[in-house]
Amino acid sequence: MEQTLEFFRGPMFALTFGIMVCGLLRHVVIQVYCLANGIGRRLGNAPWHKILAETATWAFPFPHFIKGTVLFSSASFVFHIGLIIVPLFLADHVVLWEGVLQAELPAIGKGLADFLTLTTLACLLILLGCRLFVSRHRAVSRPIDYILLLLIMMPFTTGFLASHPALNPLRWDVVLLVHILSAELLFVMIPFTKLAHVVLFVFDRISPVHWQLRPGAGDKVAQALFGSEARV
Amino acid sequence: MEAKAADKNMDLAEEAVVRSYPYYVDNPVSGDRVSKFLEAFAAILEYTDYRPLLDSYCTSSVKCNRCAVACPIYATTGDPRDIPCYRTNILFDIYKRYFTIGGWLSSRFSNGFQLTEDVIDDMLDVFYRCTACRRCTQECPMGVDHGLLTRLGRYILSLIGIVPKALQVSVREQLEGDTHNTSKVPKKAMLHTLNFLAEELEETIGVSLEFPVDQVGRDYVFFCAVSDYLMEPETLMGNAAVLYAAGDWERWTIGSCNYDGINYGLFYSDWHLETIIKQLVAEVLRLQGKNILIGECGHASRSAHDFVPVFLGKDSYPVINFMEYTLQCLEKGKIELDPNIISERVTYHDPCNIARSGWIVQQPRKILKSFVKDFVDMEPHGQRNYCCGGGGGLVSVDEIHDYRMKIGGKVKAEQIISTGAEIVVAPCANCKKQLKELMEFYDIPCQVVGLHDLILKAIVIPGGKSPQERKEEAELYSM
Repeated sequence: MEQTLEFFRGPMFALTFGIMVCGLLRHVVIQVYCLANGIGRRLGNAPWHKILAETATWAFPFPHFIKGTVLFSSASFVFHIGLIIVPLFLADHVVLWEGVLQAELPAIGKGLADFLTLTTLACLLILLGCRLFVSRHRAVSRPIDYILLLLIMMPFTTGFLASHPALNPLRWDVVLLVHILSAELLFVMIPFTKLAHVVLFVFDRISPVHWQLRPGAGDKVAQALFGSEARV
Repeated sequence: MEAKAADKNMDLAEEAVVRSYPYYVDNPVSGDRVSKFLEAFAAILEYTDYRPLLDSYCTSSVKCNRCAVACPIYATTGDPRDIPCYRTNILFDIYKRYFTIGGWLSSRFSNGFQLTEDVIDDMLDVFYRCTACRRCTQECPMGVDHGLLTRLGRYILSLIGIVPKALQVSVREQLEGDTHNTSKVPKKAMLHTLNFLAEELEETIGVSLEFPVDQVGRDYVFFCAVSDYLMEPETLMGNAAVLYAAGDWERWTIGSCNYDGINYGLFYSDWHLETIIKQLVAEVLRLQGKNILIGECGHASRSAHDFVPVFLGKDSYPVINFMEYTLQCLEKGKIELDPNIISERVTYHDPCNIARSGWIVQQPRKILKSFVKDFVDMEPHGQRNYCCGGGGGLVSVDEIHDYRMKIGGKVKAEQIISTGAEIVVAPCANCKKQLKELMEFYDIPCQVVGLHDLILKAIVIPGGKSPQERKEEAELYSM
């Protein structure tokens, strides 16, 4: 078992992390390439200060609270805090990152890590509950939306159990293996699912750039479809 | 074999009969709409810049549903099809399935999503239930621009011939007709109207004026929604009064070859948008004007302001909305507005096309507050306003009048009622038409006017009748 754990904690961790980084890089490269080549000459027209200011307001969602969104938005906001801080700065993880990043990240205390883990799990349950019980959420939810929520719960739940043997009714090494495997599965899924918004949100938020339509493109589309006679 | 083919033809014919449209469509497309849709989508992806946008949105849309809460249409119907994310997901599904490697791969394992005639029916309905007000975009943490995607969906549909006849016929007249404007107002009629308005103005403000037409080398070439010449002459007269009072009468002109600021291309087609913009700029070029001055019209202002630089370069003609011009005049002391004329409670409706981006929000309020005693804002207002329910070109589609009244405009009607206003100022030809119909439909005792309709009453005209004198005359006349 120890060898299995070592394998998944070592080479498999590096591989899945690499897949995630490469997958996300692919998204960034494609977006930057398309922007530079397609819209590049019109980027100057975009209201960049407005885009940045509007994006910055989403760092704290409170100004965006509107009736009907408070619970979901709050849960989503708090959930993201735990999702970012615990995997990166938990003391046990810092050692792991040191092997990959060759740099030592600051570690958070165990108490804070536990608090954030439990808060994140509570938020995940709220998000899941919204999808299950609020019809407008259910209307646009697909299986992958539920799968991802459950999948994100896995490393947090198993991580908490692994670090609290007194509360853990299962075999410690099995729980740890599930913890590592579920985290690695998440790594792999990030570039291929909506979790890719970790990098793509930057490109999503520049819709004023996409309103900079390509001059002459409409004419070319019309010509391709209807020949020289454009359709009015 | 022949019998089978005949049966198939009959089936197709029956299908063509059964397929109905929620709005009139000029020569609806017959036969296989699915292939035609995909062909049009492919052409758009090849020649335009929508692909990176679709790539990014369809991967990262988190479906948090804030858009549902922001949408006044969904708030009224509760129909999941009216959730912006639902609507745009149809486009994402088509894009992923037919235009990405992942979609192709997954279709090898299971049929999954298939574009069918029913999906096209769904799209041609939902894309024209949306007023493209983009309120949902503002509430989306990811910034997914559902308005842009609605427009893209409409664009693809228009390329297979599915577009409300009201929009198509107007644009056809604007681009290919004799009058070159959406309301088919012939040049003679426009000139005649201007003479008539000059007489009206003389009677109202006591100054004899001649509208400048085809004057070369002026600072401002003026374009309003062409309907202002017929339906909203008081707005046009208000515009003229400001120009005269500010001492700028010799600085503006109307072009007789193109006097329509309307651009329905903004609502459904890149080609139309660009062609109409170029037609507008050609008129400014002909008259050797220096600036494009757009009257009170939300989408005319946005299409010129946002797309003249896109299609003709950043250094092309500056575009000024008339309310910006009026505020400048007011702040420089070039015009004076009498604060004792408008005593009714007044509220202001923000046209989505100029307010959502934050471009024209404070200007009209500053003007109104300078001379209106009892001004009250709707809640929410400004960038977070609610659409009148006729946005995105829907106001021109008469056959969906009931939809616009009972669903599209219901939230706005409630907003206006809650202000207790007697006058609602709506500086947009489309919003005004929709709001007037709403006031009638819900029997709301509130008058819908343009901003410059009120300014016409309160502006101090050098050498002309005083606002008080005009008010007394108007009261006498109305008795």
